[in-house]
Amino acid sequence: MSCENAQELISLLLDGRLPAEEGENVVAHAGICRECGTQLAALQTQRVLLRKMAQAPVPDSLAARLSVLASHERDRRLSRASLRQRVRRMTSNLDLAFQNLMRPVALPITGGLCSTLLLFGLMVPSLSFSHPTGGYDFRTAPQGSLVATPWDLGADDDAKDFPVFASPGETKSDYVNIVNLTIDESGRVADWSVVRGQLTDEMKDIIMFSRFEPATFWGTPTSGTIQVWQGLPPCKYAHCSATVRG
Amino acid sequence: MATSILDLSAPKALDGADSDDLRLVESLRSGAAQAYEELLARFQQPVFTLALRLLDDPSESADVVQEVFLKVFRNIGAFRGQSSLKTWIYRITVNEAHNARRWFFRHRRKEVELDSEPDEARNWKEVIPDGCLSPFDAAFEREQHMMIEAALAKLSPIFREAVVLRDIADMSYEEIAEVLAVSLGTVKSRILRGREALRAELAGSLQDRLAPRLVPKTAE
Repeated sequence: MSCENAQELISLLLDGRLPAEEGENVVAHAGICRECGTQLAALQTQRVLLRKMAQAPVPDSLAARLSVLASHERDRRLSRASLRQRVRRMTSNLDLAFQNLMRPVALPITGGLCSTLLLFGLMVPSLSFSHPTGGYDFRTAPQGSLVATPWDLGADDDAKDFPVFASPGETKSDYVNIVNLTIDESGRVADWSVVRGQLTDEMKDIIMFSRFEPATFWGTPTSGTIQVWQGLPPCKYAHCSATVRG
Repeated sequence: MATSILDLSAPKALDGADSDDLRLVESLRSGAAQAYEELLARFQQPVFTLALRLLDDPSESADVVQEVFLKVFRNIGAFRGQSSLKTWIYRITVNEAHNARRWFFRHRRKEVELDSEPDEARNWKEVIPDGCLSPFDAAFEREQHMMIEAALAKLSPIFREAVVLRDIADMSYEEIAEVLAVSLGTVKSRILRGREALRAELAGSLQDRLAPRLVPKTAE
């Protein structure tokens, strides 16, 4: 390789634009030729020095002028925008303004709301509300119903003198036999007492086998009292309803 | 490394604007404030460096940069994405620098420079030397830069543009060809001749300081 050829290729070699084999030939020639070696080293050093000049600091005054220029040109572009672009721009601005407005207060509002809900939830159990039910405040579902009776097992309804269930406060002087039943929390008869007449077989069956839906207090099942009447001409069991009063 | 003499990596391919460029251009067209800020953040420093190296006059370079960005903002609608945004902006910069140079030679040569000391027009951040360098190194580096700038200023504008775009702006041959609107062969020729001319200019001024670095190894 002649020096003239090598010196023309040195520039391409520095830029990595020579094939590998040709590049190695140039490097090899520069290693044995003083003039070409000097040129290669000089151009390499020159390139390093030029690279150091690639970061000229932008004067603050120019940066400020460019910012102002950008702002003006943006306004100019927006002023010439179509109606659709303007509407989209306004929507975007409104959205941004709303977000900027809400961000500072969103956290306090959320915290305050959560705190309020938490405190209110803690205070509710200690609050007392007056209901028109008098002494039965917080006693719920006084109207109970029979869940199971001994006559469900195929008894002949029409042939029986079925007992009638009533609240303890009710008075019906026509009935011959009246029994007070105490219903426990599980709906079973826990105790009984004869108010009038005698304890008939049907009443015994009720005491032994009937189940009731108990009254509740604050949602918790509690004991109650119910009366069983018997002694009139047969009534329909379907008409009988049980009232459990705590 | 790009500075290695055995940097045989393949040249970068030109494939027009990438998705990032297109997104930025679209945002600029829609008038998004962020896009304007992003464009300035990405290009104001390299464009100023390029203008400064092409003109060697900070105040003139600042005017050119402002003119470049004015054209970019106003003509962004005409950008079709056939070249990269960087190439497009650099082409505008080179053209503006060329215009400024012609105007300078017609008008400003006759003017008297009132601002005799360039440092007076610069703010304190630019004047105070970098704390990482020793005073000697800072002075030496600054003197080197001044010598190179002086040598660059003596080059023909055609060669100067090619050398600056290649060795300072680190553009590929294909990008330079696109920026200067010349063929690839012309780019190679201009870079070769520009480097040689620059080396010849520097040979005298840097001889004393760079001589030890320029001496090649003795042939075996």
